[in-house]
Amino acid sequence: MKFLPFVLRNLARNKLRSLLTASAIALAIALVCILRTMPAGMDAFLSSIASNTRISTHNEAGMVYQMPYSYLQKVRAVPGVVAAISWQWFGGAVDASRGVEFPNFAVDPEDFGRVYEDWNVSQQALDDFRKYRDAAIVGRGTLEKKGWKLGDVITLQSTLFGLELSFRIVGEVPNPRAVQLYFQREYLVQAFAALGTPLDSTGMIWSRIDDPERVGPVMRQIDEMFRNGEAETTSETEKSFFGNFFGSLKGIVTVIMIVAGIVTLCIVFIAANTASMSVRERVGEIAILKAIGFRSRTIFTTLLAEAVLLSTVAGAAGALISLALTSLLRSSLVSTGPQLGPLTGFVVTDAILVQAIFIAFFIGILSGWLPALGASRRSVAQTLREVF
Amino acid sequence: MIDLENVSRVYQRGADVIHALENVSLHVPRGRFVALMGPSGSGKSTLLNVLAGLDRPSSGEVTVAERRLNELSEDELAEFRAQTVGFVFQFFNLIPVLSALENVELPLLLTNLPRADRRRRAETALRVVGLSDRASHLPRQLSGGEQQRVAIARAIVTDADLVVADEPTGDLDARNAEEILSLLQTLKRDFNKTVVIVTHDPRAEKWVDEVIHLDKGVLLETRPGGGSREMAVSR
Repeated sequence: MKFLPFVLRNLARNKLRSLLTASAIALAIALVCILRTMPAGMDAFLSSIASNTRISTHNEAGMVYQMPYSYLQKVRAVPGVVAAISWQWFGGAVDASRGVEFPNFAVDPEDFGRVYEDWNVSQQALDDFRKYRDAAIVGRGTLEKKGWKLGDVITLQSTLFGLELSFRIVGEVPNPRAVQLYFQREYLVQAFAALGTPLDSTGMIWSRIDDPERVGPVMRQIDEMFRNGEAETTSETEKSFFGNFFGSLKGIVTVIMIVAGIVTLCIVFIAANTASMSVRERVGEIAILKAIGFRSRTIFTTLLAEAVLLSTVAGAAGALISLALTSLLRSSLVSTGPQLGPLTGFVVTDAILVQAIFIAFFIGILSGWLPALGASRRSVAQTLREVF
Repeated sequence: MIDLENVSRVYQRGADVIHALENVSLHVPRGRFVALMGPSGSGKSTLLNVLAGLDRPSSGEVTVAERRLNELSEDELAEFRAQTVGFVFQFFNLIPVLSALENVELPLLLTNLPRADRRRRAETALRVVGLSDRASHLPRQLSGGEQQRVAIARAIVTDADLVVADEPTGDLDARNAEEILSLLQTLKRDFNKTVVIVTHDPRAEKWVDEVIHLDKGVLLETRPGGGSREMAVSR
């Protein structure tokens, strides 16, 4: 500790250079911190939209493949399954030239409210959904985006089946992030019948399980039940389902994390260059220190301490910047509305802060090691001859 | 204090082999003020580096303050320099970001002295060189002569037995050069330090006890300086 004032004085020797280097490290660490929030943020986002008692069952070959509709009854009969409904992708577009703007599915209205009881769809809406063959329940996000309201009649043209169906909006999923449209499966069955084509398959089955602890066994039982059947199935939790759905996003997150690693490496080189310049400018002074009795180890330690101190303090500042930025983002989201809700999940946790400071510490060690080692190993007499 | 026995130092510079010192033998008793003189390239700085433990001889024996420097490791040499040798250089070589007092205190960081003791000893050393009032000044705020006096204070703050100075007056005007030589003589006379300087400055001859002439790495002659005559007269 008695060398600390000496180390601090040396850091303040060229204030602008130290400040610029510290700024580069701080910004890089802030970036790394924010990027490090993404996996946890994605997870938090998935947790926020997924129930831990809801599972999906779909064709093992992939979600685009159908399963027999009769599977629904068999799933409903599995012990632990409270309610289950089928999902059939309709692929409806308001304007076919603009494509599908929001997901829309044909579902079984009887159990809709029980499977999605956490969505808080009003009882009136659920009653009307069962009552009217052309009824539709729409997510608030789409209602607001399209300017639709309850009672409106809208028409969707299926990009998949070549059908055009009109729907009466009887309720909403009261969540600004909900964008889906649900309508009665029977409505679609009748439309198919009118074309002379029976609809006896479904794309997916969603079930609610009575106990989170039983989710795993129930999923295994369902998949086992259809083993060697007409279509083998894969069941997964809602969180896992959305996780796969956003799989491409996870790939982007991975790329971003790699970029963060490269940024960190670049900062190591920048900091190492600064440390080298600083040492090179002081070759004479370092020789004098050795001449008056400073051991190589002491020289090495004080030079390394300069790099580590600068980097660690800058890293701590960067971590605090990231904390402030994400807090600011969350507070601004609260005031501007929850449409960007997923971003509120990107929280700089204590663990990320500690990791950031450790990264900064190691940046300091990596950047300072070689210049400090080189300086400490130089022969005093040779340096004195060269410099003076 | 200093015993050199057939010391040679050979450098390899590219394809050239340079004989900086050739079979130099030398004895300097404790409490002497000695000047190493000679033309450029005569080997006087190399000799100073060897006897101060900054460089190792290619052959021969070097004994300083009863320690055989040939046998010491790098760390032991560093410890030897910290405890036994005080250095003064031509260009003062103070640390620019430290005040005069902190520069003087620097060698004491290698000791186990508490901070207050280090400070007190540094203040005493500055008082010896007459710079108590400049303690808080940075090197750039001091004149060349003052900087060299701070360097001398740094050299004596550890109470080193041997003070070596490489061209201590080389960057000073006549008045400051005389003051520095006088100060070095004071160290010898009042504090019984052994002082060895390398110099081109002919003024140094009247202050030192002994002048050692080197040329092409060979010790040519040793003759008394003005300091020894002064001492004889005063006795």
